[in-house]
Amino acid sequence: MHHAIPISWYLIVSAILFTLGTIGVLVRRNPLTIFMSIELMLNAVNLSFITFSSYLNSVDGQMFVFIVLTVAAAEVVVGLAIIVSIFRTRRNINVDEMNVLRG
Amino acid sequence: MTNLTPWVLLLPLLGFILQGLFGKFMPRRAILTIAWGASGLAFVFAAISFFSMLHTAPAARLNDAVLYTWASSGTVANHVLSGNVPLNISFGLLLDPLSATMLLVITGVGFLIHIYSAGYMEDDPSFWRFFAYLNFFIFAMVLLVSADNFLFLLVGWGLVGLASFLLIGFWYTKRSAVDAARKALVINIIGDLGMMLAIFLIFQHYGTLNYLTNGSINGVFDLVTKGGVATGVTTAICLLLFVACAAKSAQLPLYMWLPDAMEGPTPVSALIHAATMVTAGVYLVARANPLFQVSPDALIVVAIIGGVTALFAATIALTQLDIKRVLAYSTISQLGYMFMAEGAHNYSAGVFHLTTHAYFKALLFLGAGAIIHSLGGEQDMRNMGGLSKRLKITMVTFVIASLAISGIIPFAGFWSKDDIIGSLLTQAVNGGGALFYVLWIMALITAGLTAFYMFRLVFGIFAGDYRGQGPLAHGHGSDEVTDEEHEGGHGGLYAIYEAPAVMTIPLIILAVLSTIGGLIGSYAIFGQPHWNIFASWLSPVFTNPAWTNLPVQDLSLSFGLTLTSGLLSFGLACLGILVAWRMYGKGFVYKESKNPIYQLLIHKYYIDEICIALIINPIKWVGRTASALLEGNLLDGGSRGIAWVSRGSSDGLRRLQTGYMRNYALAILFGVVLLIIYFAVMRG
Repeated sequence: MHHAIPISWYLIVSAILFTLGTIGVLVRRNPLTIFMSIELMLNAVNLSFITFSSYLNSVDGQMFVFIVLTVAAAEVVVGLAIIVSIFRTRRNINVDEMNVLRG
Repeated sequence: MTNLTPWVLLLPLLGFILQGLFGKFMPRRAILTIAWGASGLAFVFAAISFFSMLHTAPAARLNDAVLYTWASSGTVANHVLSGNVPLNISFGLLLDPLSATMLLVITGVGFLIHIYSAGYMEDDPSFWRFFAYLNFFIFAMVLLVSADNFLFLLVGWGLVGLASFLLIGFWYTKRSAVDAARKALVINIIGDLGMMLAIFLIFQHYGTLNYLTNGSINGVFDLVTKGGVATGVTTAICLLLFVACAAKSAQLPLYMWLPDAMEGPTPVSALIHAATMVTAGVYLVARANPLFQVSPDALIVVAIIGGVTALFAATIALTQLDIKRVLAYSTISQLGYMFMAEGAHNYSAGVFHLTTHAYFKALLFLGAGAIIHSLGGEQDMRNMGGLSKRLKITMVTFVIASLAISGIIPFAGFWSKDDIIGSLLTQAVNGGGALFYVLWIMALITAGLTAFYMFRLVFGIFAGDYRGQGPLAHGHGSDEVTDEEHEGGHGGLYAIYEAPAVMTIPLIILAVLSTIGGLIGSYAIFGQPHWNIFASWLSPVFTNPAWTNLPVQDLSLSFGLTLTSGLLSFGLACLGILVAWRMYGKGFVYKESKNPIYQLLIHKYYIDEICIALIINPIKWVGRTASALLEGNLLDGGSRGIAWVSRGSSDGLRRLQTGYMRNYALAILFGVVLLIIYFAVMRG
């Protein structure tokens, strides 16, 4: 199979997206933004899966992408529910102020 | 022959369980129905067994009811004496003349004390607990005397010790009662240890624990005379058994618990520490007589300890002021008599004195209890006197018991005591030598002392003018208050009333028994053992056709010597009473005396002080030193170190748990980076 664009380019894009997501998780205070950053990380990984799937001529990578998408959707549902519940009790969802589990 | 012993054993146990579980919620009437019913029916069943035994030929007066096999080894014990027989330990109840006599005494006197206690303990908040313990005691004692092997003897032995612990410490809010209970338990455990060692030796050398051969189970007593066991071993067994006897029957040097046991309620003193429990040692020596017969050295030890104890305790009783304490020391002294008799091979005389002593000592204690009850808890003789005007029934019965214990013809104590003193002289004449002459003289002196201190007590309580202040508010543990108004001065005497009928009726019954109960063994005075109904009744226990080669002692004495011995003891008893009457007939007067002998006696030879200095304080010192040195750093170092390390490390680790989400996320990232580097380096 002929590739117009080399595989490394795809992987570089994926790595950049993943790094951006990681930085977002680490530096943002709003949990919604953090969730979006996590989605970014997951989709960066999905991009790598697709790339390798195409490169290796195998559908396994695409299967994984579907699983990741499903799990991500479920995770967002649970996470949003938790955030709503926290907001109801504390009127505030700043993650820097959620440290009641401190040892 | 009907053997109803299982019922005699089970009924009090049932009564104990019922009252122990539900007594708290029962009305008094129900408690009394159960407690009296259990002990009364036990007495009826014991009496039925006894009378059915009377109608059996003497040789057939033996029934071993095996209820179940407790342990069966299955393997064959290849033993020199036992042969190839599997070891079986069964739970069996032996009924023979000795255990039948003991059962009658225990359940009979026990039943009377159950009745009496209903009056004495009337106001106690723990009424049900008291009767539960009483029934438990009867159960334990019945097990002790009717077990057919040494193992269940030990079980009964231990349970009786437990019962006495519970009953002495019955008023558990009273410090002195708890201390006394503990003392009794500790000394009893010393005895239990002796018995346990004896049982190990018996098992090692005889290969069985049963008393008598029953079916496939060998009996120790049947093996004793077969030879093959060194005399030294048998002597060791006997001496270890006697350690147990001395602890239970308060003989030197293990007697100290009994005077302190007077801290318990007075019916307990009557039941356990006078009439029944303390006789367990006398019973055991009589029961194990074949073992003692083959080891004369052990019997001599028994006789010496008995004789010394009898005289020793009688001298202490001379000066005591607490009426229960006088009776306690007289109990020790009388038990010494019983062991002297057994040491002189006259086991039946020991058991005979045990029986008559049960009557008059129970009567003395119950009478003392009635006096204490009427005076609202007063026990000091200095605050009594003149009570004959108010407590007529108590006085008459108390005097009868005192005459009986002093050995005055024809009261019960004379016949049994004369039997004992006579058998000491018999041993002396028949080759026992100087030792038995000395014991005989000691026994005679003790007889005189007994009469003196008993009538010192009688005159102190009943004669002269009243010296007290009227009834005290009840001082014993419970917070009850007497109905009578507290009146000062001489008027106090008229605030004293006779105990209720529920208490005086047992006194009267026991007084009758103390008067005529000795006649059954009265022919012993003629020196012809086979004329003594009591001795011939018990003789199957001491002579068994299967026990060939067992040394048999000639217990007969010439008529002249018996009469001399009997008249001497009677004369000394009369002399003792006369001296007491001369000194205290017009009322007891307490004088502080600096006489060193008097001081020695009133302080009970300073034995308690010596024990505290020589035994208790060193043990306490070892304990304190050990707790200071060992527990401080040595033994606790390890556990404290572990605690320190874990606390320190967790202190450090908990700082990692900041609770901030980004820190965890960063940690995860860090971990992932490390993993990537690891795989890159390793694979690269």
